[in-house]
Amino acid sequence: MRVIRAAVDEMWSMVGQMTSAVFRHGLPLTDKIAARTALTNFVLHIHPVRVRRSWIRMSYTLCLGGLSFFLFIVLTVTGLYLMFYYVPSINHAYQDMRDLQFVVTFGGLIRNMHRWAAHAMVITVWLHMARVFLTGAYKKPREFNWGIGTVLLLVTLLLSFTGYLLPWDQLSIWAVTVGTNMAKYAPIAGPYTRYLMLGGHAVGDATLLRFYVMHVVGLPLVGFLLMVVHFWRVRKDGFSGGL
Amino acid sequence: MATEATDRIAARQRVEARRRQMEAPTTVRDDSEDEMIVSFPEFIFKEFIASVAMTVFLILVSIFLQAPLLGQANPGVTPNPSKAPWYFLGLQELLSRFPPLMAGVAFPTFVIVLMILVPFLDRNPSRRPSERKVAIILFGLYMAIVVALVIIGTFFRGHEFIWDWGWVLGNPQTCGGRSC
Repeated sequence: MRVIRAAVDEMWSMVGQMTSAVFRHGLPLTDKIAARTALTNFVLHIHPVRVRRSWIRMSYTLCLGGLSFFLFIVLTVTGLYLMFYYVPSINHAYQDMRDLQFVVTFGGLIRNMHRWAAHAMVITVWLHMARVFLTGAYKKPREFNWGIGTVLLLVTLLLSFTGYLLPWDQLSIWAVTVGTNMAKYAPIAGPYTRYLMLGGHAVGDATLLRFYVMHVVGLPLVGFLLMVVHFWRVRKDGFSGGL
Repeated sequence: MATEATDRIAARQRVEARRRQMEAPTTVRDDSEDEMIVSFPEFIFKEFIASVAMTVFLILVSIFLQAPLLGQANPGVTPNPSKAPWYFLGLQELLSRFPPLMAGVAFPTFVIVLMILVPFLDRNPSRRPSERKVAIILFGLYMAIVVALVIIGTFFRGHEFIWDWGWVLGNPQTCGGRSC
């Protein structure tokens, strides 16, 4: 009996050690514990340990920057799922989309979420810019971060645009044809830029591969690095605070 | 010992004063007296609630609203009208009205450069809306034009991208006489 009790005690202390190895500080019942939790937790370390209540008022930020970042995460996760079933070639792409919609488990739901989250992200990033402008938060010392934000808006648009071609249906091929036709009007560089984007003179197999690579690797990487700098600068320049 | 501590406090106050001076022209309200709270859990909880609300919203929309998927891409059959994605329809609208070099290249480049330069062009140090009437009116005008162009491009451009009051959706109407 005593042996069993000792073994159970030992197991409990092992579980306790495992828990405290992952969660170092227990429940944040006092400010001190809460502060230490935020300081030592990888996910939470993006946040300052202490903030002024006026900085995080929802009626000031409307959560738009945070929601944009969250939508980026949603798009990464749903996009990963779609990548398991999608081959970026004109012989497979469209059939893969049909399969996603009708055969793959949750394929239709995940594809819909990816599509609507992409539209939502264009809107939230746009509204975030409007909020920052209307509160004058871009003013000294945050001029540089406003510039990064502008580039992030462009990256968002390009991510959405490159994704638009991938279903390889009549909507996507012609929308991208119209979109890339705009590039050719630039003096001298125009036709070359268009050729570079399409990998040829018309939207085809090479275009699909190029847009796919930019959509799943190139642009997300650029966007992610810019986001890291963007958030870093928010911390270093200080929260803009309430009006 | 005492002098060292006093020196340190004095130096800290100088740094603080300099920081305030640097930020003074751009800060509407001195927030240094505002209540300080620990960001975990209150701040993180707010973000969490916003994320959950967004996830629920997305799942509900995705259950009831199908993402469009038309017929397979066919380079030989051009739908009429052919439209860019909605966020580029403002540009397409401009292209249908102005010379391509101006609408397709000069204008967007100008807007992007202008956007990045906004903090340097805006010489007004105040952040109070009542003292930034010009900036807010200009920005409101810009937003209104963009939204109007996107709405026109999305709903009021039909066959041959000609004006159509019929609230025509962005999907192609015909493909060379046949339905798509």
